[in-house]
Amino acid sequence: MLCRIADLLIEVPEAGGMSPRCREYLTNQQGGADITIRADLYKSEKYGGAGENTVAYMESCIQFCRQLIHFDGLYLHSSAVELCGKAYLFSGPSGMGKSTHTRLWQQLFGDAAQVFNDDKPALRRLDGRWFAYGTPWCGKDGINQNKKVPLAGICFLRRGQENTIRRLDEMEATARILSQTMRRFRDVERLDLLLSHIDKLVKEIPVYELYNKPEPDAARLSYETMRQGAEEAGL
Amino acid sequence: MKLNGKFVLRQVAGNWVVLPLSDATVNFNGMIKLNESGVMLWRLLEQGKDREALADMLTTVYDVSREIALEDVDEFLNKLGRAGCIDLQ
Repeated sequence: MLCRIADLLIEVPEAGGMSPRCREYLTNQQGGADITIRADLYKSEKYGGAGENTVAYMESCIQFCRQLIHFDGLYLHSSAVELCGKAYLFSGPSGMGKSTHTRLWQQLFGDAAQVFNDDKPALRRLDGRWFAYGTPWCGKDGINQNKKVPLAGICFLRRGQENTIRRLDEMEATARILSQTMRRFRDVERLDLLLSHIDKLVKEIPVYELYNKPEPDAARLSYETMRQGAEEAGL
Repeated sequence: MKLNGKFVLRQVAGNWVVLPLSDATVNFNGMIKLNESGVMLWRLLEQGKDREALADMLTTVYDVSREIALEDVDEFLNKLGRAGCIDLQ
């Protein structure tokens, strides 16, 4: 089925439960696909007897994310929330409270805050501006809106005894982003392409680290800091 | 002691780091940061130079005794070994 994901035409195999996941992304647009995901390349043996759906979800995602790098893009393992037309991404290893944190934003701001992807939003740089996109790869909760939102900030989460936030320097930001995106490539060219995207990303988008407790004050702190940072960066 | 080709040296945000390629067995999360002498040692290893040659470089560039230089080289090689950049025989 032909889908429009992150402003790209993507051919996604329907098998393995991908059809309902892609419902919001189906397109009648004509033309050849930018990226063709191939079910015959799925490496099911990697998943130790997991079901067909798990394999299709994981493997289609890997193929998409790998190709995305050739279109000025990358994915970031994160929960993405939109507020007032800007995207704020909360990233970090599993268990650091990404989803919990964006739920706190929703509590705080009500319907004004929309979580549009809870696992792997795509980022692309178009005409010198960064955008975050919803994708069909959205994690177990299935939170998934087909959206394109200007990126205003990225925040890496850590559990803490109190809520503190600080801006990361470019090196710290690069290391954190690399740890939460795809970067295990066989070919050096693709790694270099990814590094060149991240290099622009950390120069153009403010990146933070938040030590947080799962409470509304943490959301207030991240919002206030990131909104101000975006304003200063002209985002 | 030879680099196994599963890692590459790159400059990231003004810093030199060693990054794993996909067939690397990664024992650490992310990257190894190298200082200036580390970069020079890495370059020599890329050229297939041995422990002695690495120590030669350190004694030439820095004002250190051969003994200290060899210690530093071994420390560096151990670090790379632990990270999986060198296949230990």
